[in-house]
Amino acid sequence: MKILVAVKQVAALDEDFEIRADEKDVDEDFLLYDLNEWDDFSLEEAMKIKEAGTTEVEVVVVSVGPDRVDESLRKCLAKGADRAIRVWDDSIEGSDAIAIGRILAAVAKKEAPDMIFAGVQSSDQAYASTGISTAAYLNWPHAAVVADLQYQAGNKSAVVRRELEGGLLQEVEINCPAVLTIQLGINKPRYASLRGIKQAAAKPIEEVTLSDIGLSGADVGAGNSMSHVRRMYIPAKGRAEMIEGTIAEQAAKLIQIMNEFKGV
Amino acid sequence: MDNSKEITRVLFENFQPQAIHLFYAIGYLAIAVFTYGVYVQIRKYRRGKPDGSWNELFHRFVDMVKTMATHRTLVRRDKSAGRAHGLIFLGFVLLFIGTSTITLEYDILEPLFGVKFWYGNFYLLFSLVLDLAGLGLIVGLIYMMYRRKWLHLPKLDYKRVDRQEGDPDFDRSQYRREDWAFLWSFILIGITGFILEATRLVWLNDRPEVWDYRMWSPVGALLAQIMQTFGMVSESAGAFRPYLWWFHGLLSLTFIACIPYTKIKHIFTAATSLMFKDPLAGRRLPKVPDDQKTAGYKTITDLTWKNLLHLDACTKCGRCQEACPANAVGAPLSPRDVILSLREFANHALSAKELPKEAELNIHGKDVGQVFMETLWSCRTCLACVEICPVAVEHVPIIVQMRRNLVEAGEMEPLLEKTLQTIHKTGNSFGESKRKRAAWAKELPFEIKDARKEPVDVLWFVGDYASFDPRNQKVTQSFAKLMHHAGVNFGLLFEAELNAGNDVRRVGEEGLYELLASSNIGTLQACDFASIVTTDPHSFNTIRNEYPDFGGKFEIEHYTTLVKRLIETGQVKLKKKLDYRVTFHDPCHLGRYNKGYDAPREVIKLLGCELVEMARNRDNSFCCGAGGGRIWIPDPVGIEKPSANRMKEAGQIEGLQVFVVSCPKDLTMFEDALKTSGFEGQFVVRELIELIDECIEYEVWEDTAVTA
Repeated sequence: MKILVAVKQVAALDEDFEIRADEKDVDEDFLLYDLNEWDDFSLEEAMKIKEAGTTEVEVVVVSVGPDRVDESLRKCLAKGADRAIRVWDDSIEGSDAIAIGRILAAVAKKEAPDMIFAGVQSSDQAYASTGISTAAYLNWPHAAVVADLQYQAGNKSAVVRRELEGGLLQEVEINCPAVLTIQLGINKPRYASLRGIKQAAAKPIEEVTLSDIGLSGADVGAGNSMSHVRRMYIPAKGRAEMIEGTIAEQAAKLIQIMNEFKGV
Repeated sequence: MDNSKEITRVLFENFQPQAIHLFYAIGYLAIAVFTYGVYVQIRKYRRGKPDGSWNELFHRFVDMVKTMATHRTLVRRDKSAGRAHGLIFLGFVLLFIGTSTITLEYDILEPLFGVKFWYGNFYLLFSLVLDLAGLGLIVGLIYMMYRRKWLHLPKLDYKRVDRQEGDPDFDRSQYRREDWAFLWSFILIGITGFILEATRLVWLNDRPEVWDYRMWSPVGALLAQIMQTFGMVSESAGAFRPYLWWFHGLLSLTFIACIPYTKIKHIFTAATSLMFKDPLAGRRLPKVPDDQKTAGYKTITDLTWKNLLHLDACTKCGRCQEACPANAVGAPLSPRDVILSLREFANHALSAKELPKEAELNIHGKDVGQVFMETLWSCRTCLACVEICPVAVEHVPIIVQMRRNLVEAGEMEPLLEKTLQTIHKTGNSFGESKRKRAAWAKELPFEIKDARKEPVDVLWFVGDYASFDPRNQKVTQSFAKLMHHAGVNFGLLFEAELNAGNDVRRVGEEGLYELLASSNIGTLQACDFASIVTTDPHSFNTIRNEYPDFGGKFEIEHYTTLVKRLIETGQVKLKKKLDYRVTFHDPCHLGRYNKGYDAPREVIKLLGCELVEMARNRDNSFCCGAGGGRIWIPDPVGIEKPSANRMKEAGQIEGLQVFVVSCPKDLTMFEDALKTSGFEGQFVVRELIELIDECIEYEVWEDTAVTA
């Protein structure tokens, strides 16, 4: 029994960031990297199944990204994942979510897991389609935005509750193997202590190239993606304004703005 | 006096040989029971992990003897109990030496070598000393009984704050019974000893070598007089004596046999605990060995033998509980209960021949003898308990070790978890960008040197609160101006400075601490400076006491000593004097942790302020509640915060104008508490730096002047 957990190292913006010269992304100097928040939950969900202890379960985390991603993978290993796989090739740079899904599906074909968990979305790019495209390439059933999962290792199917708009839940029975994209709050992710992370350095992170999983540069990268980033920018300031001064001054200013708005 | 051999004491006069043999047999039995008990105890300690406290044994021994001889730690904050204990201690020691002297002559020197010395002048002096010792013992014990029965001291109430009424180990009444059994058996030994002495005098009143010298045992002589008044004569005394003799003898031997099994063992455990005292306990927490898989204490066998010994040293005096800020505000923590719980656990689990299964050794949980997570997280690591413990029990290191295990298991407040992740990610607890660490310096009219780029005399390690907290930034700027004004050649680490790790370590996140400490040490070692200064006592403590364990040996001082020197040498000129009535709050990490009590007080006096002490000051200073990572854990609603408790104490000072602190966290905690506890408008909370600032640059910084 094996669960593959697809994770991503996401970028967060530092204070006073700058856009890269080519205007396609933020300058890397101003980015802080960490594991995608959703992935904490999907890994925890896998760990819960592993620790329920009915059958032997191997939890394998996989990520697509450069060297720096090892740090996030180590965090997953510290939390109890058995193995980690990192796929990288410089030609992957610029791939969209669908291309990443193609890579993950190729890994899944090799690993042959019984379940694949991914986060609903990543906090930096927010495509919310990596997991789903993986399922598409594998031709597996999938369920998105899973807020509750009833599944025991070895089961032929799982019952998931999907979070819909308006506070609705949809209960779905899904055949396995399947791809589930996990929503925040489905569980309480455990804390990875720094000592744990340090000790996880002893666990191997398998570095996989495109050819290892039967792909080539022609399957990935910006040129082989169906969408590309044209420009990243900070929109011109909206109409929000911070009103400063004493309470009386603020009130006066507020009245003035309201009057202007009404056209008085 | 008379040095004739006849003047001595009868020992087994009129005893049948069988009776003497029986007595010796019982005596050996008592010694056997005692020895077995000692063996079981030592076997228990040996089941703990190793500890490296075997160094400087002679020095440790001398220190221990000094502490015990002066009773220094026992008279602290409880003079009467300390003195009463002194009498009991002295009485016991002298009586023990006395009895051993008799054994030495009667059982060893005389039968083997025919040597006798226990007669004449020596005997008379011996008799007098032991009589007085016995009297002291009884007086001491009577006070202890009085204290228990009539003083109703809260610290002698063993009811637990971390358990509910009805829980099996809630009221700990067995300890109360043991206390009384101890006091009564001890006092009975003393009293029967005196009656026995008096009976002997009456019995042998026709022997001049006994009766004529009776005043050398004054208490016995007085009792003999009374007995005679009530009609006791030689024959009746002679008939009564054997019963009394056996009672006294058997009680004493039972007492000796019981030592290793009851609280009496503190005679040995307290002494050895004092001997293995770590002067840096809590100030420098133990490293986790590199090869150790899990951090911290999960099972009772994770404790070191020294920890286990400390547990047994506790005499339940309650001084720690009285000093504990968490306990004072009703948090489910009494340092004494933690120690006693673990002791009960150890006695239960480690005294048998075979060790129980691993699972039965877990000290975390909700069962009898286990320690609650809530209890461990209530600790502020202020060291008030370690400071006052008369027998050198080191509570805080044990608590932190247990927290390390909780942290590894992720059993902590979600907010604390978040903060630790934030510190890991950004290097500071505010989650601010590293780049913004020295943002406060941009507003200054001068440039501060970058110590990474040029040599400086003084490297200023600013710390998180002083760097990022807007209120503290004002103080930080003032201190920068002060140093600039004094012509100190100083610099900062700017964005390379990380949280020093003091509180991260006290939370129990040792891995993160190692990361922060080694990063800071690396940064510091790459800089050229003579010494470090900081306004943050927390950073001060860990850099001073803990960085050396990680290879970072630096000269560091808290700003109070530096400023005092600058004022005294005239580098900082005070242009005016202040006439405020102030009180000073000792920050735990400056005061208790590092004994920096005097410098801030002297600066306050140099400024011209009138310093009025709060009742709890210096080594008994009351924690603001922020220590040990508690600043990152919300205090429970509905119970008083330690800082509010402290405000009330300050509020009792007539005409108080300024509550002076010298720690960024104190400023945050107490300014908050001032508002919530209703003293706003009566007095203000100020960093000492702000008061100094008023005296040197008042035209620029008058907005921070005291307006109360």
